[in-house]
Amino acid sequence: MSSVDTTPADTEGVAAIFRRVLETDDVAADSDFFLLGGDSLIATRVLSAVARAYRVELSFEDFVLAPTPAGLAELIASAG
Amino acid sequence: MSGGRARSAVVVGAGPAGLTAAEGLAARGVGVTVLEARERVGGRTHGIEVAPGAWIDAGAAYLGARHTELLTLIKELGLHTSPTTMLGASRFALGGGEDSAHATRDGRFPPLNAVALGELFDHLADLTAVVRPEAPWLTPDAERLDTLTAAEWAGQYLTHPDARLFFPLFLGEMMAADPADVSVLHMAFYLRSGGGLRYLNAFEGGAQQDRVAGGAHLLCERLAARVDGRPHGAVRLGEAVRAVAQDADGVTVHTERGAAYRADVAVVALPPLLADTLDLGPEPPARRAGERTGRGCAVKVNLVYPSPLWREHGLSGWSVNAEGPLLSTVDDSPAGSEAGVLTGFVTGAEAHRYAALGPREQRAAAVAQAARLFPMLPEPVGFHVTDWVNEPYSKGCYAALFGPGDWLRLGPTLTAPHGRVHWAGTETSTEFFGLLEGAIRSGHRVVAEILDGGV
Repeated sequence: MSSVDTTPADTEGVAAIFRRVLETDDVAADSDFFLLGGDSLIATRVLSAVARAYRVELSFEDFVLAPTPAGLAELIASAG
Repeated sequence: MSGGRARSAVVVGAGPAGLTAAEGLAARGVGVTVLEARERVGGRTHGIEVAPGAWIDAGAAYLGARHTELLTLIKELGLHTSPTTMLGASRFALGGGEDSAHATRDGRFPPLNAVALGELFDHLADLTAVVRPEAPWLTPDAERLDTLTAAEWAGQYLTHPDARLFFPLFLGEMMAADPADVSVLHMAFYLRSGGGLRYLNAFEGGAQQDRVAGGAHLLCERLAARVDGRPHGAVRLGEAVRAVAQDADGVTVHTERGAAYRADVAVVALPPLLADTLDLGPEPPARRAGERTGRGCAVKVNLVYPSPLWREHGLSGWSVNAEGPLLSTVDDSPAGSEAGVLTGFVTGAEAHRYAALGPREQRAAAVAQAARLFPMLPEPVGFHVTDWVNEPYSKGCYAALFGPGDWLRLGPTLTAPHGRVHWAGTETSTEFFGLLEGAIRSGHRVVAEILDGGV
């Protein structure tokens, strides 16, 4: 779990956030957050965790365009 | 107490809790008389016929898959559920100038800072996780959490303006409370009891997934018909109860009309603020409400249109608004009817303000706001306001609001019978408190208490 470090965004770090807020272990690099049962309320908790871990504030629209650990990691890397 | 199994009972209150208890007892051979103050059964469920054969819910309406006792009851009574429609974009009026303040967004996510809302929900999730749902008064740190109001908590923990803006709207929607009215412990308990933040908030896959087809009041009407149809069952309307006296042999329930009903036990299935108005002598029981217990602050507004026109414009009917009176709206169009029904929720402090207006002002304000949110709408063909805050035989809706100190004081005796008097009602259920499901579970609990425990 990387909830406080500020290392470069990695897919595994985002996947760990998904696992925590969705309360499931079943998260792969290309797992779609919404297909895993996530909704917009829980999505905001991913974004607050991303902001804490990587100092990058993404919007809900960013999230909807790339709702996978790999997709978000890429967005975080390009924003950071 | 001794004397064996109860053979007769008087149930006070013909809402879902009282009628579930009554039918459960009657089905097992207990003679049951239900006394209801109003001229209708249903309590905080209430149906309005908006077009011939098309009914909407003016009170409790929604349910989800986790509401297992309710779903079982629906099936047993030959009723069905219909899904809540939530397709299309949402409308938001969350601040700024006139028309520019209205935003249209896909889905239900408001045009606010997502990270700030995430922090809000992180805080709420943390609180929800620590509460002990079956006994909130035993939560670690309960004393501190029961001292602080949700408004004071928000002042300390919410720093971003968007989180401060959204929190009262969220709480209003979830539990019909102004943040100043509830303790942090009650807020956390309520969210946990209802299945957690996400479940309680969601339509599909959550607590608002379905409605009772034809209206939730049908549950009560059918239960009442069953009780009334039994040889030793009766439901009496217009019988407001004044006092429940008890002696060594039984209870005597006195009504305002001057009638007296004798039975082995009584079930008081009233909201706590109403239960506390009964004379329960000779021995004073533990109070049902505390000094800070408040009325659930909900006024439900139903605007009826010839059809759900918003759908043709790609809108779901869902809106969230920083300014009242309608803090949120939802498409409540009855299945199988052409009518379009937009239901507006007026909650929290706004409910008190709106309830104080005259009927003409109420209509003008709601219709104007609906037209700003959904400019394609014509003048409504029907308009209904249900003011639960000032409803004398409910004293609030969705449920009583436990303020600071209430849980620590009321919790330990929440379900404890007072001699021959048993307590039902959604506020006595730590599971799904405030919801139909909680009411029904409380009715089942009371049946077990009375039949399995002896008198």
